[in-house]
Amino acid sequence: MATTLVNPLDERVPPAGSAPKRLETLESARIAMLDISKPGGSIFLDRLEALLKDQHGVSEVLRYAKPTFAKPAPEAVLADIRKAQPHAVIEALAD
Amino acid sequence: MLANGEIAPEISGSRPPAPALVCFFKTDCPACHLGLRYLDGLSRHYRGQAAIVAVSQDGASATQGLADALDLDLSIEFDSTLRASEAWGLEAVPALFLLDGRGRVCGSSQGFDKADLNRFSSDLAGLSGAAPAAPIRSGDGNPDFQPGCVSRHLEPPSEEEAAPALDLYSRRGLRASRVEVPVGTEAEEFCYEEGFADPLPVVPPTVERVERMLAATALAGDEIVAHVPPNYGPASVEKIAANAVMAGCLPAYMRVLVPAIRALCDERLDIHGVQGTTHFAAPLAVINGPVRLDLGFACGSNVFSNAARANSTIGRALQLVLRNLGGAAPGRIDMSTMGNPGRFSYVIGENEEASPWGPLSEDFGISHGRSAVTFYCAEPPRPVSEHKARSAEVLLRAICPVLANLWSHRVCRRQEALVVIGPEHAATLGRCGFSKRNVVEYLFENTGIPLREFDGDGGEGTHEAKWYEECVIRGEPCYRKFRRPESIRVMVAGGPAGKFSAVLGSWATGPRGSQMVCLEIE
Repeated sequence: MATTLVNPLDERVPPAGSAPKRLETLESARIAMLDISKPGGSIFLDRLEALLKDQHGVSEVLRYAKPTFAKPAPEAVLADIRKAQPHAVIEALAD
Repeated sequence: MLANGEIAPEISGSRPPAPALVCFFKTDCPACHLGLRYLDGLSRHYRGQAAIVAVSQDGASATQGLADALDLDLSIEFDSTLRASEAWGLEAVPALFLLDGRGRVCGSSQGFDKADLNRFSSDLAGLSGAAPAAPIRSGDGNPDFQPGCVSRHLEPPSEEEAAPALDLYSRRGLRASRVEVPVGTEAEEFCYEEGFADPLPVVPPTVERVERMLAATALAGDEIVAHVPPNYGPASVEKIAANAVMAGCLPAYMRVLVPAIRALCDERLDIHGVQGTTHFAAPLAVINGPVRLDLGFACGSNVFSNAARANSTIGRALQLVLRNLGGAAPGRIDMSTMGNPGRFSYVIGENEEASPWGPLSEDFGISHGRSAVTFYCAEPPRPVSEHKARSAEVLLRAICPVLANLWSHRVCRRQEALVVIGPEHAATLGRCGFSKRNVVEYLFENTGIPLREFDGDGGEGTHEAKWYEECVIRGEPCYRKFRRPESIRVMVAGGPAGKFSAVLGSWATGPRGSQMVCLEIE
């Protein structure tokens, strides 16, 4: 006789999604960066911002930060990013 | 937003009732979901005495789906055209308006805020003559405040389909599916291959075994106890039961598992962060009260090891729930550099019978004699040996250097500690007349890092030294290790022989990290 089990896993189906279109150029682009607030992260992001501007023609880098790396970004921070309508967002991890 | 004193405009061609508490919401806003759960409770309390009206900015189908998931009994109106949202001047949802008996606005707020809800509830009681509802508690597992989302009528137009809302607060879920084990396949091996298990063998969660587990609780199988971070998978009672079977639990353990999962997913514990950290932390459960004896929890010898079925299997069930419903599998989301043996199981009982003090749960307001589970996101235990001390001071002096090394020895003020005093040490402290508070204060006052250790080498903790508090410990200028005495918690556990204790360091602490959470077990 076949054994029947109760599925112990999360059975939700993740929503289908596709990656947004890649930017064709960074020239004159406005890029947002979300710093997750790990110690030392801002040093790395400062350098990345300089490279984006100096070597790739990015016109503006908008900087945002989570209040703490330990928790998800609050909706208010995400809303601020959406409101600014950047061409792309870099969420910067650490470690 | 309408100002106080303005007459509330119509909603879908009708004047709202007065006095009333009116809440605009949209179905894909997590802060709205949270607010609706509490408004539903207020609605049940004030039924027939004062009106509470929820106004959906979405269509009937999406709204009904949300009402079912949240198990709402609340009266819902519709503003599908969004004309009312515009007329009421909404910027964000949830948006609350308190209307007096003449339909004038006498209070408003946007976003979810327990303080606002309590104020409006109290004012509504005053306006309607009803008895006020019990205030919504801080620390009930949900955040006190959550910013809202932009009102639907102000959303920028987009041709792309919006991502579905994160479901954090639904109370009813789908029943678990049934899975047939192919004939000729060992069920235990099948569970492993299907990714149901940790690397140890499991008890296959057959329908019959899960039903026996469900029979031990009065809750419905589709009731959602919590949403498990970081994926926020719904932990229905049935899913908890299936994972409990796999871990080897007895049906009677559901009494502990249900509140334990509720506590584990309490937003104060921040298991979201702990599940993804590179640090050593794992959630430790401490069991207090009569349930320890009822279910046979180990509180004595080998308390941190494999001494009792209740500790080992309940701890394993909690870890399986985190992995199977929360999604934090090692090497994917769980990226701990070294891991923690506690990721198999990390449950201890307090040896209350050997303690000269009240139980740990009493420190969190649970009455003595009641059962409780307390979670603390902890490193593995660090041992303390002191076999010669005959006074409290000499004994505690052996604990201070272990405390001083938590996280990294020159990092101060960021960490907390749980000090698990062994029974022989507890007897010494009790005999010397040291209360739990005396112990904590001694450890706080005498744990520090010598200033001479800060010699400019740039190591971890040295850059923040300007914020540290200087003190003198036994004539040595030091930085104080802990921010405050309450950063150190003390309890008693372990066997009767051996003058050992243990120190457990924390993960990130405070409101921006993990805070200890204690819930009563019925």
